[in-house]
Amino acid sequence: MSTETAPPSTVRVDARDKVTGTLRYGTDRVPPGMLHAALAVATVAKGRLVHLDTEAAAALPGVHLVLTHADADELTSGGFLLGGGYGFQSFQPLTGDRIAYRGQPIALVVADTLHVATEAAALVRAEYESEPGAFTLDAPGAEALVQSEAIPLPMFADVVAGDADGVLAEAATRPGAVVIDAVYDHPAQHQNPMELIGTVAEWRSAGDGGADILTVHEGTQNAGAVQHGVATQLGIDADRVEVISPSVGGGFGQKNSLQPQTALVAIAARRVGRPVKLVVPRTQVFHDSSFRPATRQHIRLAADGTGRMLAAVHEVDQQTSRHDLFPGTHTEITSRLYGIPNYRGLQRLVRTDVQTPGYMRAPYEHSAAFAFESAVDELAVALGQDPVELRLANDTDTDPVSGEPFSSRHLAECLRRGAERFGWARRTPEPGSMRADDGSRVGWGVAVGCYPGMAAPTAARVCAEPSGAVRVEVGAHEMGQGLRTAMVRTVAADLGIPAGDVTPAVGDTRALPHHLTAGSWGTAGALPAIALALAELRTALKVPEQGPVDVAAAVAATGRDSVEVEAVYTAPGQPPQVLDRLRAGLPAPGGPEHPGFVTFSWVAHFVEVRIEPTIHRIRVPRVVSVADCGRVASPTTAGSQLRGGVVWGISAALRESSEVDPRFGGFLNASLEEYPIAVNADIGEIDVDFIDTPDPMLNSLGVKGLGEVSMVGVAGAVANAVHHATGRRFRRLPIHLEDVL
Amino acid sequence: MRPFAYAAPASVPEALDALVAAGPDARFLAGGTTLYDLMKLGVEAPPAVVDVHRLPELAVVDTAGPDELVFGAGARMADVAEDPVLLRDYPMLAESLAKAASQQLRTMATVGGNLLQRTRCSYFRGGAPFACNKREPGSGCSALEGIDRAHAVLGTSDSCIATYAGDWAVALIALDAVVDVLGPDGARTVALADLHHEPGSHPERETTLAAGELILRIRVPTTRTARGSTYHKIRDRESYAFALASAATAVALDADGVVTDARIALGGVATRPWRAAAAERTLVGAPLTVDTARRAGEAALAGARPGRHNGFKIELAVRTVTDALRIAGERAVQ
Ligand SMILES: Cc1cc2nc3c(=O)[nH]c(=O)nc-3n(C[C@H](O)[C@H](O)[C@H](O)COP(=O)(O)OP(=O)(O)OC[C@H]3O[C@@H](n4cnc5c(N)ncnc54)[C@H](O)[C@@H]3O)c2cc1C
Ligand code: SF4
Repeated sequence: MSTETAPPSTVRVDARDKVTGTLRYGTDRVPPGMLHAALAVATVAKGRLVHLDTEAAAALPGVHLVLTHADADELTSGGFLLGGGYGFQSFQPLTGDRIAYRGQPIALVVADTLHVATEAAALVRAEYESEPGAFTLDAPGAEALVQSEAIPLPMFADVVAGDADGVLAEAATRPGAVVIDAVYDHPAQHQNPMELIGTVAEWRSAGDGGADILTVHEGTQNAGAVQHGVATQLGIDADRVEVISPSVGGGFGQKNSLQPQTALVAIAARRVGRPVKLVVPRTQVFHDSSFRPATRQHIRLAADGTGRMLAAVHEVDQQTSRHDLFPGTHTEITSRLYGIPNYRGLQRLVRTDVQTPGYMRAPYEHSAAFAFESAVDELAVALGQDPVELRLANDTDTDPVSGEPFSSRHLAECLRRGAERFGWARRTPEPGSMRADDGSRVGWGVAVGCYPGMAAPTAARVCAEPSGAVRVEVGAHEMGQGLRTAMVRTVAADLGIPAGDVTPAVGDTRALPHHLTAGSWGTAGALPAIALALAELRTALKVPEQGPVDVAAAVAATGRDSVEVEAVYTAPGQPPQVLDRLRAGLPAPGGPEHPGFVTFSWVAHFVEVRIEPTIHRIRVPRVVSVADCGRVASPTTAGSQLRGGVVWGISAALRESSEVDPRFGGFLNASLEEYPIAVNADIGEIDVDFIDTPDPMLNSLGVKGLGEVSMVGVAGAVANAVHHATGRRFRRLPIHLEDVL
Repeated sequence: MRPFAYAAPASVPEALDALVAAGPDARFLAGGTTLYDLMKLGVEAPPAVVDVHRLPELAVVDTAGPDELVFGAGARMADVAEDPVLLRDYPMLAESLAKAASQQLRTMATVGGNLLQRTRCSYFRGGAPFACNKREPGSGCSALEGIDRAHAVLGTSDSCIATYAGDWAVALIALDAVVDVLGPDGARTVALADLHHEPGSHPERETTLAAGELILRIRVPTTRTARGSTYHKIRDRESYAFALASAATAVALDADGVVTDARIALGGVATRPWRAAAAERTLVGAPLTVDTARRAGEAALAGARPGRHNGFKIELAVRTVTDALRIAGERAVQ
């Protein structure tokens, strides 16, 4: 890991503001005259609204407005993010009488105070015509579709290389060869960022005789989609919508697109002529935004007697909603983890009566790696081979799917270094053979992960002031991942100026067009964009291409008040049309297959579990993780990203599950108390390390993504460690106490 | 949350009067960590609350006396959890508080309000569309055919299988605690063992307190047995979670390691704080071994009735008792 030489202020530029509570999040905004809103939600899971009685709600003193579908004629759907639109789902509540899922908003109440709004929302009475629904993968009425047929787009096609089925059939009869054939279940899970979903909407006259300007304050990873989506929904020009989202209090994918409440709040604010704020309560967030869909994954994996992997088939059933097809790309990574020449993937989508699921940190990769890396562990056991050696023996420099080289792949080094730090050599292979002093059974497990190296068009602006200060703006979002810190460090290092002279700004559509920040491409797009802008700045300042710059002197020499430049970065080989998409608030990431090379980030996790005597609680005292994310742009925040991914992986493996009672639909444990996220006391030592070798091809700075890959493989390593401790294989997450009792 | 009247009288007599004046559905308010929570969920809707959180008469804690420990109902969980006498001589009491909720909640919550906390059954707290006999008598019980992993296996009925969620009362019941109450009809003392009802056919009736009765204090007879004690709480994560199973155990051993006194109570598995007297009897006169401990655990769970997903709790509780007795035995003074 790079040593920490930067002054403390650049280790995390917003740390002080965070711990003192001064950092401002979207809905912290309190404009004068602001009113409060609350939602009434459906209590049935599917059907039709036959009667909505809002009289009592409207009559409550302090209530200004009760918005229902009957009134909302000015509202249309913002479309589905993956269908050319902007929303996490195409279904927009309050546009009709259809009930698509339990918890769906059916009315929005605006009142003087939050208390009155909440009480009024509870007074909204609804009558429904209920229909039977399907809420789980197996439920009668859940409809399975083959993704490649349902969404005939190249990016959602099944991954195929060689003849996996033929080789598997042959291996089944070949002496010495081993075939693993197993099914792995992953439950639905929710992101649960601390910052809830919410919107503050305010309108003001533009003063130009044209339509009024709408300002939306909300925590979002996609200010561009909110801007253009709300404009579409309300039928106004996008340049009449401003979205301000300076800091996101955690997104993890849940805030990556237009939310249904934004336009509702905007309409309410327009109707009442005052700013309106809605913060969606936790239980409603479980139903009013996306989540990680349940999956069932069938893996078949064949190897010859020496452990050379010959063929794999990975078939995935992923839950989606009735109204949208949320595609899966689980097989994109499992086809690349090893040099398996024959591979066939199949993605199926299973329609259920829920809100549309979506991206949650490592949205496919986490569950895919759990399944595949469990299967690889089963293979190692069947072959009697060490699981690290087996993985090393199947390493590859070439992408087995496209035949192109990986731009960088230091997975073997991640494994070797991780094994060394962990003390893997002391592992005895026999399950149940290792014991702690207190009699606990000890299990050591390993798993690897990868995540596509993508990049998105990113706009940057750099402005040099006569004082020598530099302002740097990027059309991206700070979700706590440390983007501002990386921005400051990049500018300060390039110009050779103190970090204190650099002011970063993100999350404001008034400044620049904003692309979705997700898929770990935030830093990998922002920093190259800044690099381009800095090069322009040097030209404009007439200073050499490299070396420290006396900014104040250079600005003075130009005779101008300040010098401002803009640049846009695009992923390697992207056509210019992606800039149109960027300006339209549409996603336009490129990768992982770039012209002439393929990019992934890589990681290896080593996990120790202990299963205590008598009660058999599963504990994770120790994890070692080594990642290859190219150059490490900001050591402190990178370390936290990786540790955070490990924490979440442990939580996903042993704790988290969104429970469904099929009689009611929706999610039952919809609160932070009942949805058991791992707490501090669950987490032991997490030792992280980075290869820190720049990727030579993806961008000039050599950075690849880190946020998501951090989590990929952790759950597999935990499950493999539990197997090593107990001799029992758990193919369904989370693994609970009662499973090992 | 509906509007409600709020009064903060300055003394216990005024509080009693205020409650009577506010009508039959009015409630005392202590830390509010149960009451306000349920009001926000719409599960409770008292027209008035009478705040007793800061009444000095309720704040008294005296753990120095020779005969009994006294905990004013208004004492904060966080403070009592750190009482040096409890930490040394009654670890089961201190642990039952320290392992409950979070530090923030314990700082607000009182040891009196804690006894009256309500179940965490998701169907009870969730409101519509779930039927719940406890919330709406006669409406049915959604848990019976539902996700009952967290529900009780002891003391259940066909009307309700909700777990009594608290920890403190479980430790108290093992030590024969009593509760002093004062109400419109005067003062009386209730054994903690008689404070809570099993659900039977009236799950909405949770305690034997009469309307308007205020808990003044909890008293626990002193006992050296509690030196060898623990509150062993097994949950889905290592803190900030309710028990899947818990055991409050205390043992006194003679010089030969034979049990002379044993206390066992269970949490997380029963519809009320659950004293396992039969289990205690299996131990007294026997040496404390893994086998006798396990037998006591089995005796404690003898009448357990598994549901759809919570059958594991029976074996888990047996083992929790077994392990808790081991910990208690290690701490016991011989
Ligand atoms: C997220 C969360 C996690 C929790 N985890 C745990 C846990 O792990 N273990 C555990 O044991 N508890 C747990 N709790 C429950 C918590 O301990 C109780 O809510 C708390 O002890 C109640 O005390 P209070 O003073 O806040 O009571 P209040 O909420 O003020 O009152 C509770 C009830 O008692 C009545 N009341 C209060 N004082 C008196 C009195 N003196 N006389 C008569 N009636 C009175 C009130 O009218 C009300 O009905 C948790 C709570 C939350 C919110
Ligand atoms: S178990 Fe009790 S509290 Fe839960 S739903 Fe049934 S009746 Fe209600």
